[in-house]
Amino acid sequence: MRSVICAGLLCFSAILGWSIVETREPYVPEARITYRPIQVQQDGYVSSDTCKACHPAQYDAWHASFHRTMTQVAVTPDTVRADFNGVRVTDVPGNPIALQRRGREFWAEFGDPDWDHQGSERPRIMRQIVMITGSHYQQVYWYRTDRTRVLGQLPATYLVAERRWIPRDAALLHPPVEMPASETGRWNAICVNCHATDGKRKFDAPDNVATAGTSAIVADTQVAEFGIACEACHGPAAEHVRRNRNPMTRYWQYLTGEADRSAIVQPARLKPALSSQVCGQCHGVWEHFDQSAERQANVSGLPYRPGDDLATTRLVVQPAKSQSSPTLRAILDAYPGYLNDSFWSDGMIRVSGREYNGLIDSPCFARATVEERTLSCFSCHTMHKTAADPRPTGEWAETHQVTPGMEGNGACLTCHAPIGTNLTAHTKHQPESSGSNCYNCHMPYTTYGLLRALRSHQISSPTVAASVSTGRPNACNACHLDKTLAWTQAQLETWYATPRVALSAEEETVAASLLWLLKGDAGQRALAAWSMGWTPARQASGTEWMAVPLSMLLNDPYDAVRQIAYRSLRSLPGFEGFQYDFLAPGRTRIADTMRALEASRRLPGPASRRRDPALLLDGSGAPRMDAIVRLGLQRNDRPVVLRE
Amino acid sequence: MADRDYARADRDYARRHLRFGWWSLLLFATLGLVLESLHGFKVSAYLDVSNETRRLMWTLAHAHGALLSMVHVLFGLSVRVAPEMGTRNRPLISMCLIGASIVLPGGFFLGGIGSYGGDPGVGVLFVPVGAAALLIALFLLARMAGAVRPAGKR
Repeated sequence: MRSVICAGLLCFSAILGWSIVETREPYVPEARITYRPIQVQQDGYVSSDTCKACHPAQYDAWHASFHRTMTQVAVTPDTVRADFNGVRVTDVPGNPIALQRRGREFWAEFGDPDWDHQGSERPRIMRQIVMITGSHYQQVYWYRTDRTRVLGQLPATYLVAERRWIPRDAALLHPPVEMPASETGRWNAICVNCHATDGKRKFDAPDNVATAGTSAIVADTQVAEFGIACEACHGPAAEHVRRNRNPMTRYWQYLTGEADRSAIVQPARLKPALSSQVCGQCHGVWEHFDQSAERQANVSGLPYRPGDDLATTRLVVQPAKSQSSPTLRAILDAYPGYLNDSFWSDGMIRVSGREYNGLIDSPCFARATVEERTLSCFSCHTMHKTAADPRPTGEWAETHQVTPGMEGNGACLTCHAPIGTNLTAHTKHQPESSGSNCYNCHMPYTTYGLLRALRSHQISSPTVAASVSTGRPNACNACHLDKTLAWTQAQLETWYATPRVALSAEEETVAASLLWLLKGDAGQRALAAWSMGWTPARQASGTEWMAVPLSMLLNDPYDAVRQIAYRSLRSLPGFEGFQYDFLAPGRTRIADTMRALEASRRLPGPASRRRDPALLLDGSGAPRMDAIVRLGLQRNDRPVVLRE
Repeated sequence: MADRDYARADRDYARRHLRFGWWSLLLFATLGLVLESLHGFKVSAYLDVSNETRRLMWTLAHAHGALLSMVHVLFGLSVRVAPEMGTRNRPLISMCLIGASIVLPGGFFLGGIGSYGGDPGVGVLFVPVGAAALLIALFLLARMAGAVRPAGKR
């Protein structure tokens, strides 16, 4: 009897053990992974897992942030936002992309982006997804090519909020292309710099990555950690860990308050210029000084470490100040449109994710003479949610990690307190009005990225002169969408004695937003279309006239512009159920445009129609289609590429 | 000391440790219930990741306290069953066991009240003192266990 019980127990244990082994994620040591970039602890980096042991609260806040998920190699149901369960994605390059799950793995079958044009048609390939970038607005999926650690990019991007796949190129603002170029090797070459901590490209031939042909790329890409982790901002922590391993040392510091700050960088305690550079290492437009520096970075990673002077390690591109730089001259010789891709013509940054460029050209930074009153990234943002912040960690991360109290005028009034005592005297708007929000006038939505407009991080005051010379929407007309530049000019002159500039007849008589929307380049059209969906602008300008101009953008040549215009149109009263696909063929889009125009004629009723010539409405409130079409024909079709 | 005195001393020790053990067990079982309630009501001061050290310290206080309570009960019963065990060092063993039962879980508990990030508060410094007292008591008991005579030879 006893032996039977023992045998039973043995069998039970064996089955239990087998089931545990079978259901567990198989552990593969990082060093043995050969098909993707790997995490290697070197150069004094120890990884966030080590930091967590002593700094759990800081780790927790970072873990909830989108910095962590910039790159994820754990491709699991928890990290993949798209549905891969037998989904077929059409109307994208590689059409169709067949997505599937194989147990714990994610796979995709699609047309090979690296087809060498041998044979009659593009071959289809089946690849495993091994890496993800993004988690907030969009997700990009990277597949193993099994050519060393070089990754390929799935030719479609997943929009998280819309829950839909779009061609990768449609997620960016650039001229339409028939067949996008291969993006194989892009993560290893570009993304590794700012989607990972201490990334090293390690291409075998770093000088010709772009021209060698994707099948020839060989890379042994390594990172200290995937995503932007603790040491990206605090520097390598091995020495800090070593010095503080002894508990007696730590308790001595706790009890005496003498923390060991010699072996770790605390960005918030650096001088404003240096602390902002910690953010600027990624949130800025920069270039290697020369090919030699790039070759060195290819092997050793970027030389910048938190606390260093960023400008000694790379060229931080500032169009107004970098013109004499040999680096910039060489770039402009090779690619004259380089600056236009990231900057307005007066040098103000116009793409998202490059806020450092905006900061360093802001008067609150550039002209500050007192350290305590110098603007820095940490003036408004915090990288670790404080205990005093009542918001849930997720909400703090969603709201751009803005410090409590800095969401509104408190941010500016910290230094400009006298303005706060009589807000209306300065803003000329009611105190509760969105026109009395410092951000709306001095940080308007004039940068573009992620299929939306974002606040400029270059503190400025609205002027019509800047709008006329650069084409950039000024804060007044970005909110008062129904007003002309002439109206704005008159107001600014009356209120602030801002000098006048000469305006064209159209600028005198037609609402500025309509000129940007109909005549502007793709970047201006995108910003104007987005503004028509922005609540404060709608409240200030009314919405009853917006449907016609927005409808005109439904057949815009740029995917991104159509997508943004549709979002704004769909949020107008009467258009909530309007069906439209911004990726539909041109003929369908024309039909959709006509359908939208027809619907807009019925809305609103004649009684509530505006009769404003500046909005190209006639005496009965009907749109003057001849004028609208005429402006549309003058559209600025210069190719616009915005490198967000 | 007369045999009667020894017998009375045995009974005193046994009673003291049985009483201490059971009351102590009640105390730490109650602490366990309180900790479970903190889980149940999702009290952030206990469950947040930033309070992980507190959670660990109080869990350790509960576990060590409950386990040491049972050691007291076992010791009390051992004195009854095998009075010759540890006779000579019994005062020291008793003192060490009681000291450990107060200082060891108490140190963990105090360490969890205030913490420095991933490190417990200074109250945790009581823990090694309690651990030393426990080790002394266990060493003495283990050494004396060899002196216990078989039941038939008493």
